[in-house]
Amino acid sequence: MAGFEILDPTVEPRRQPLTYVPRPDSLKGKRVGLVENTKFNSDKLLHRIGDILKQEYGAAETRMWRKHNSGVPAHAEIIEDAKRTVDVVVAGIGD
Amino acid sequence: MTTRISSQRYAVEDFHEALELCYSRGWTDGLPVVPPTEPAVRAMLEAVGLEPAAQVAFITNRQVAISAEKVAINAVMAGCRPEHMPVVLAAVEGVADPRWGYHGPATSTGGAGVLMIVNGPIARRLDFNCGDNLFGPGWRSNATVGRAVRLVMRNVIGTLPGRLDRGTVGHPGKYTYVIAENEAESPWTPLHAERGCRPEDSAVTVMAALGPHQFYNQLSSTAAGVLGTMCDTMRNPGMVGQPNYCVVLAGEHMRTIAADGWSKSDIRKYIFEHTTSTIAHLKRTARLPGAVKPEDETATRPLVLTPDDLLVVAAGGRAGSFSCYIPGWASRTSSQAVTTVIKERRA
Repeated sequence: MAGFEILDPTVEPRRQPLTYVPRPDSLKGKRVGLVENTKFNSDKLLHRIGDILKQEYGAAETRMWRKHNSGVPAHAEIIEDAKRTVDVVVAGIGD
Repeated sequence: MTTRISSQRYAVEDFHEALELCYSRGWTDGLPVVPPTEPAVRAMLEAVGLEPAAQVAFITNRQVAISAEKVAINAVMAGCRPEHMPVVLAAVEGVADPRWGYHGPATSTGGAGVLMIVNGPIARRLDFNCGDNLFGPGWRSNATVGRAVRLVMRNVIGTLPGRLDRGTVGHPGKYTYVIAENEAESPWTPLHAERGCRPEDSAVTVMAALGPHQFYNQLSSTAAGVLGTMCDTMRNPGMVGQPNYCVVLAGEHMRTIAADGWSKSDIRKYIFEHTTSTIAHLKRTARLPGAVKPEDETATRPLVLTPDDLLVVAAGGRAGSFSCYIPGWASRTSSQAVTTVIKERRA
């Protein structure tokens, strides 16, 4: 068989510029949002983290939201609510 | 077709070098692939009338646009013929549908495959197997269409085992998991017609699915007798809260159930009512959390949320007192079965 060419079956994912908001120097007095992903015990894990952030790092309060399911990003209502009511957010997985 | 195929090209000396290049680049599912040459890829695109750059689907979570060209390349590699391309495209559209929720079932440790059920005239024209050895090897359409979708998942969407495919045990259906419904012999409304398509349409239903669970009943001559055996096994779920179950009824069981005059709706109602578990049982077997309370002994939970979440398909060999059920993956908010009409031509 003579030489021939084959075609690449793959694609490169679309690149998106990502920028991070400045991190706070301290959590003292900050309002902490917790985003729970519906997995067993993920709420317990995040509540425990929230307690540590309050007790050991001086966070003022915590507030939790629940995603629709673990396979999707936080929905728009969570994002909008978080923007208005908290200073930082912790998201975690419960596996 | 006017537009140039834009994928990168690799020069090879012969078939063997092409094959080894595909392996070395990580483009295969572990089995040898057909080298994707431009003439073969163009034949795929011409079969459906699509330009190479045409966008077939977009996977939001991965920010990946799936072009006709990339589907065609992977379909060639899987061993498809051009006439399979409409089925592959419809299945890719199905898994990209937000209701199917690509990221979850493709990535999960739960290890789902993409069960594809082909209905309508195209299933018969392309000889999709709906009979003997239903899930087994031996039919090109079943083997290559499912494989093509898996190669698209791997090569285009980045669903690589150990990376963005984290199935803990997975199952062999992740190579290919395609069946057709035996519409010629079935006494019932075909699946795609139950799900909103016209009976004369061809369609493919994609369901995020675990492996098939076979059951045996050679003793009963009634619908309730046959389905009672299945429900007894089926009611103990691997996970609680699955969105769908697919029930595949093969020849002997199909005829026994139909002889009692049961429709698919009757079958679904019976299964729904006979697969409940008590909350106490689900807690004792660590499928639900928490200590067993007295009221848990009588409180029950259904296997799926509604009878319509049970997909009933007539398929499998004529002989043998075997049928099977297939659990779906995760929960209804995470992934639902999606039925897509197969369009023979796109332009």
